[in-house]
Amino acid sequence: MEQRTHESGAAAGEAGFDVAATLAACAGGDRTALHRLYEAEADRMLGVARRILKRDALAEEAVHDSFVLIFRQAARFDPARGSGRTWIYAILRNRALNILRGEKRTDFVDDYEPFGLEAEDESPEAALVRLSESGRLRACLERLEAPRRTAILLAYVNGLTHGELAGRFGVPLGTMKSWIRRSLLSLRECLA
Amino acid sequence: MSPDPHAPNRFEGLAAEHVMGLLEGEEARRAERLEQEDPGFAAAVERWRLRFGELDATAPAHAPPPDLLARISATLDAAEPEAPPQPESAPARAARPAPLAALWRSLGFWRATGLAGAAASLLLVIGIAFGPLGRLPQPQMVAVLIGPQGEPAALVNAFADGTADLIPLRTIAVPEGRVLEVWTLWDPARGPVSIGLSNEARRIRLDLKNLPRTAPNQLFEITLEPQGGSPIGRPTGPILMKGTTSVAL
Repeated sequence: MEQRTHESGAAAGEAGFDVAATLAACAGGDRTALHRLYEAEADRMLGVARRILKRDALAEEAVHDSFVLIFRQAARFDPARGSGRTWIYAILRNRALNILRGEKRTDFVDDYEPFGLEAEDESPEAALVRLSESGRLRACLERLEAPRRTAILLAYVNGLTHGELAGRFGVPLGTMKSWIRRSLLSLRECLA
Repeated sequence: MSPDPHAPNRFEGLAAEHVMGLLEGEEARRAERLEQEDPGFAAAVERWRLRFGELDATAPAHAPPPDLLARISATLDAAEPEAPPQPESAPARAARPAPLAALWRSLGFWRATGLAGAAASLLLVIGIAFGPLGRLPQPQMVAVLIGPQGEPAALVNAFADGTADLIPLRTIAVPEGRVLEVWTLWDPARGPVSIGLSNEARRIRLDLKNLPRTAPNQLFEITLEPQGGSPIGRPTGPILMKGTTSVAL
């Protein structure tokens, strides 16, 4: 396996790699900059996409589409408005969720899916456990009641909708919406 | 500032749910618009992305297949402005950012194609069985390949002796430096296999000798590829037509 050295979650934010500067080079049409970004982030991005899409072929498609979009839209990235890393992960999550939800596949496309290559479903708590012990997000998530914390994690990490969450927890849709809304507001207070 | 100063929580909640991907319909469009137009909302969105970004960092890293970067480069190459003009047969695709992926995903396209294709297949199969073509060796399997407008564009005949041929049903404008490449998907685990190359739409014999006998519902398709065929052994260019085999009665 040629897994590169992304051992801990914290390593994903490699201090040495300047995403914003790399995006500026991409905006100038520099393909080697895109390749450097790919080397630095593709493994992690594929990991994020696999948690949402489960099937390797779909997750790879999300990463493919994201790098194409990142290169084409790099000029739209404004470092004054946010970090380069959040910008590329926002593109990735958006692509992955669109593939998951909006773009229901035809049988033709399913023909291209290799069988048996689904990512193993990881419990939502696994993501929590991998959060840095000292991080505030972990501490604040742990203050939520367990089912609400799980719902937040399933929504963000695995891309479940309000409706899917309501079904999984056996509560009415409106109840789930208010669980999520209140949990997010208490997270915000805790993180502030 | 907030468009609804009396409900800062509502504003903050909208930003958070936007980042989580939980919004749908009108609310989703509103959040996207606010993110572009309202610096206060955009800043709230960025804060939530930074907070939840810690969760993205917990995703187990997974090495992509070795050809993924080449696929990304091929997609970007295919859309370079100096690329050869798109064939007339694919006007809808020419304007799309990711032609291959976009066409695969176009549900409307495939719905229309399915209906038109079903009718066309029936007529063609009747034509083959009872028309002048019926005097040729009888194919065991027939696939009608359907183009982007839902029109029948080519026929694949697979014969009892394991040979197969492709008969175009309309002309295809092939740009300079490009070729038509024919693919089949016999085994989803193996992926599409190249079975023929041609510079123009003409009758060609397909190379199926390394594949098991053609089966019902086997996918055939034609893509536009660089001279010499796809450099990476799987389709990279726009799909010009595709279809699946049926048993010839």
